Order: sequence, then structure tokens, then C-alpha cells
Amino acid sequence: MLELTGLRRTFGDIVALDDVSFRVPAGQIVGFVGPNGAGKTTAMRIVLGVLTPDAGEVRWRGDPVDARVRRRFGYMPEERGLYPKMRVLDQLTYLGRLHGLTKADARRRASETLEVLGVAGRAGDRVEALSLGNQQRVQLAAALAHEPDLLVLDEPFSGLDPVGVEALSGVLRRQASNHGVPVVFSSHQLDLVERLCDAIVLIDDGRVVAQGTIEELRAGRERRLFLVHVRGGTDGWHGSIPGAELVEVTPEGLVLELDDDVDEQRVLDLARASGDVMRFGPVRPTLAELFREVVGA
Amino acid sequence: MSDGLAHAPRPTDRGAWRLVAARDFTVRLRDKGFVISTAITLTVLSVFILLRAFGDSDDALVYRVGLVGAASASALQQSLERAASGRGAELEVTTFDDVAQAESALTRGDVEAVLEGDDTIVGDTDVSASLRQIVQDAVVRERIRAGLDDAGVTPGEIDALLDQPSIEVRTLEPQDPNRDENAGIAFIAVLLAYGQLFGYGVWVATGVIEEKASRVVEILLSAIRPRQLLAGKIAGIGLLGIVQLVFIATFAIGLSFVTGALDLPGIAIGTALVVLAWFVMGFAFYAGLFAVSGSLVSRMEELQNAMVPINLIIFISFFISIGALESPDSTLSVAASMVPFSSALAMPVRIALGSATAAQIATSIVLLVVGTALLVPLSARLYAGAVLRTGTRVKLRDAWRAAESTDIAAGG
Repeated sequence: MLELTGLRRTFGDIVALDDVSFRVPAGQIVGFVGPNGAGKTTAMRIVLGVLTPDAGEVRWRGDPVDARVRRRFGYMPEERGLYPKMRVLDQLTYLGRLHGLTKADARRRASETLEVLGVAGRAGDRVEALSLGNQQRVQLAAALAHEPDLLVLDEPFSGLDPVGVEALSGVLRRQASNHGVPVVFSSHQLDLVERLCDAIVLIDDGRVVAQGTIEELRAGRERRLFLVHVRGGTDGWHGSIPGAELVEVTPEGLVLELDDDVDEQRVLDLARASGDVMRFGPVRPTLAELFREVVGA
Repeated sequence: MSDGLAHAPRPTDRGAWRLVAARDFTVRLRDKGFVISTAITLTVLSVFILLRAFGDSDDALVYRVGLVGAASASALQQSLERAASGRGAELEVTTFDDVAQAESALTRGDVEAVLEGDDTIVGDTDVSASLRQIVQDAVVRERIRAGLDDAGVTPGEIDALLDQPSIEVRTLEPQDPNRDENAGIAFIAVLLAYGQLFGYGVWVATGVIEEKASRVVEILLSAIRPRQLLAGKIAGIGLLGIVQLVFIATFAIGLSFVTGALDLPGIAIGTALVVLAWFVMGFAFYAGLFAVSGSLVSRMEELQNAMVPINLIIFISFFISIGALESPDSTLSVAASMVPFSSALAMPVRIALGSATAAQIATSIVLLVVGTALLVPLSARLYAGAVLRTGTRVKLRDAWRAAESTDIAAGG
């Protein structure tokens, strides 16, 4: 398990991280989401030891992280980077060895990883000769090729086509479930995060503003929204309910926000009185909606 | 379904810097720039050595001289040849029946000069000073010979009197008999030392920028510490510098030996070893500084600016060292051969010229090693503080502060 506790980091007058704490348990995939500039990259860089925090610490399996432990982490930085003129397989072998693999192991693992990511055919090419999408895959291979104990990926899905997204999703799931590797990745593709992640950490302006499973995040939201579709009903039937407010009219029906003291069964009764209720239930907000709600955007 | 990403046992914790060094070494060994620069150096050296071996060798001078009239007398011819050999030259003599014939041969270039009688030399446009001297010698010699002959001295005795004695040269201060040759070697040595130090230093700086500009440095630093990356880079590039230097020196000394450009290859070998030793120390001293200047900027175009201070110091050291070829014992030369910034260039010159004392050499080494020991941690910290900062040029102060709290820079 990876634990971040009380991380604080400033750059001059800018507070990039303010008391950031969260955990990535073994075998779980954690989505790290937040607006641009929220502090995701800074936090990840601190986990990898590329930056040092002003306060707080990173713990791995209960102990503070040192260089030896970090060598077993896999990292894909937001600023993609490989030696442009080095050949793909040579490069991955080299990086694998820097992470502590023997030459033979590093080469074998690099080939296998390229195979999994569907770029084995480009193993002998220079990185600069590859398309951006394929460079991205090689970059992922660089994070995976040394069989890391932990995966930290900064925007791993950006720039991938749907096939690449599926391939990477599969790899991350297998890393987590088959090998118990904790995975944390940042992304702006919230539908993907929702689909893939066991837990979500939402960061805004250097602070963790929400964290937990998607269900926990939903439960913790303040608004009670219900979707109601009444066929043949009279317009404005809901106007007579105190504490219920029309939020949105959608093709699926009306979205009503109910105050805490409003009994949804009473709303249902009124709806039925008005016409045939085709649909009635709480609105399960998507992560994107939760995100917008929380960061107020 | 297996994705083939099964887990291996924990890795061995081998020195990562060696991996970095190996990569930096091999990548540059295969680099076109390296091959070309080696070829250019070898070509220049070959020309220099061949010129020295065959070009200006004054012991092989041959003058083609025509003789007319009284000058054709065999006695004068003999004196001419002796005078020539006394000055280390040879004469190719042609006798002509008349002046017209001789002068047309002169115009055609068959001969370089024509001696008419015993008091006139005719040249096409000019007569070389040494040929004039030889003729003068010969005429005087012939007069003395005729005089002694008249006085009844036997030809054998005359020859003995006129033969040039070999004079032994002695100086009050001991003087190196091979000083000229050593100066030539020292000149090549300082050129090579300058080229190596500067060229490989720049390679360190560009290597740092390459990693910074391509952003691969962030990947690298998530696996290893900045110190390991820096140490590996310096070691790999430095090793290549050593290999190239050894290769060039072996080639040059071998060629000199084969062509006879050097009488004493031992001195050249000794000088080459001295240059090599001081290159290793000087490179260790400067490489960290080059790496820091590379880490401060993000693009190749900005490197020139960042390197100005180091360039200036090395360039000045180079000029002082060239000056030391002429006056190795001057205060400036002696001081420059001791101060770490310039000693890598100035000391080999003074050693090659035999002017450095053992105490000076020892001082120079100690200062250079101590200077390096002080500079390297400083450079490593600045490098660690600057290498991840892309965008505008990093200020030294910011780099220093950035690394302040970093365990990686402090070696932890």
C-alpha cells in the first residue's frame, strides 16, 4: 500500500499541495482527478522522489520511501520523454536495467511488454520515427517493463486511440488484480476513471476535496436529485410540492431537486396522481457531474 | 489470460552510474561527430608529423649549381663540395663551356645558380643565402689551399688544417639537447589537451541538455539519483575522451617513429602519458561545471550563453599555456601550472619542456584533486536542483535552493 500523508509543497508563493493525504491499497486502481493545475503532477513527482515535499511524507508498505524502494516503482510522467534517437528495445532494456533488472531480464521483459502493448513490430526503430500514439505506448512500456511494485501514471490515456485505451485498461486491471500492484493514475477522461477505478481522489487547488469509491462520493453529495417521467401528465404538477425544485428538463424526464425533509414517496404519489409514471428514481450522478459540483466549475 | 507481466524477484542493486556510463560511452562512440572529429585530428597530426619528417629537413638539402670558366677547375669543385658538406648540404655540379649555355640552363631551371669565375654567382631571380655562403666558404677555402700549397704544405696536411673541427657545446645551465623536439611535442600536447578538455566538456553539457530537452530525465530520475546520472555521464564521456586520446597518441607516436620525425619517441610517450593524466584530472575538475551549465538551460541554442564563463577560463588557460611553450619558467607559467583552473593545460607543457620541478608537479596534482573534490559536490547539487526545471534559464541561486532540502542531492 502506498500512503501519502500531509504532503505540502510550495513553489515560491504558490502553494501547489496543501496537506494532501490519501492511500492506494494493494491491488486497487485509484483515479487521481482534478482540474489543471490542481497539484496532481506535483504529488506524483513527490511519490517518485523527483520532487521533495516541504512537509509530509510518502510511505510504502508502512515505511518511508527511499531510493531503493523507488527503483521498483513504475512511472509515466506527464511530460513524456525518451531518448529520441535510441532504438525502442534498446531504450526499454536500458531503463529496465536502471530499475535493477539484469540485462537478459530487462530485454526479455521489454520485448514482452511491447508485445502486450501492440508495438512489438517497432522494437528496432528509433523512438523519433514512431507516431505519437506509438511513442505513448513505448512510454507506457517504460513504466511497466521492470515489473514495478507500484504504478504511478500521469495522464496515461491522453493521446491513445480507443484500441490503445482498451489495451492499457486491460494492462492496469491485470497489474492490480493479478499482481496486487497498487495503481494510481491521473486523467481528465472521467468516464474512463469511473469505469476503471476502485477509488477516486479528487484534488482541487492543492487540497484533496473528496475521496473514496464512486458510491461513497455519490453518497456524500449534498443534492438530492430525482428523475421523474410522467406520461400524459399535467404540466406543473410538481409546482405544488414544497421543497422540490425543477433543475432540468431532459428527454428522459424532469430532474427535481428535493430538500432533505421532502419524502420522495410523496413526490411519487403526486406524480402518479398527475399521470402514468414511466420512470422514477434518484439520479446517479456521473463522476463528471460530481467533479463539476465539487470544483464548482 | 496472461499478459506476460509476471513478477520477477527483487533486483540486484548494482551501481546505476555504470549503466549510465556505458550508455553514454557507446552512444557517442557510434556518433558520426566522434568519428569525424577523430579523423580530423589524425589527419592534422599526420600532416604535422610528415612535414616534420620529410618537409624541412635541412640535412638533405641539395643545390644544383653550374660552373663556367675558371670555376670549373677541379680544385674549386672539390672545395665547393667540402664547403657544402661542412654546412650539411650537397651540391649537384654541372660544368658548362660558356656563359650563354650556363645561363640558358639557369633560365630553364636545370640549375639553381651559376658560378662564373670565382667571384660571381648568377641566379635566375635570386640566390639563396646559404648557397652564397657555401660559395664564399669554398672560394676562401680554395685561396687558403692555394696559399698553403705555394708554401710547400702537403695536400694531406692542408686537408687536415681545413677540415671543420667538431666543436663540443657546453652550457653553464644544463640544457636539454632535445629542446626543439620537445617544444614541438609540447605544442601538440597542449593543442590536444585543450581540444579534449573543451570538446568533451561540451559533450557533457550537451548530453545533459539532450536529456532535459527530451524530458527523459524525469524517467531517469524516477529510477536513479541525480548524482548517479551525473557521475555516469561524466565517467562515460570521460572514458571516451581517454580512449580517443590514447588512440590518437599511439597513432601519432607510431607514425613519428616509423617516419623518423622524432629521434626520441620515449619523450613523446612520456608527454602523452602526462597529457593523459592531466586530462583525466582536468576533465574531472571541469566536467561538473559543464554539466551545471547544461542543466541551467533547456535548449541547445541557449547553451553557448550558459557556457561563456567556462569557455573563457579554458580559453585563457590555453593561451597562457601556449605562452608557456616560449617561457616555461615565467611566473605566469609557473602559477598557471599550479592553479587548478589552468593546470591541466599548463602543467603538461612545462613537464614536456623539462621545466617543472617534482615539488611543482606534486603541488599541481594536489591542488587539482582537492579542487575537484570541492567542486564536484557543488556541481552535483546545482545540477540536481536545475536539471528538472524546464522553461526559462535557471538561476544558480534557485538551483542551489531547489536542491537544499533534497535528499537526492545530499546523497541520501
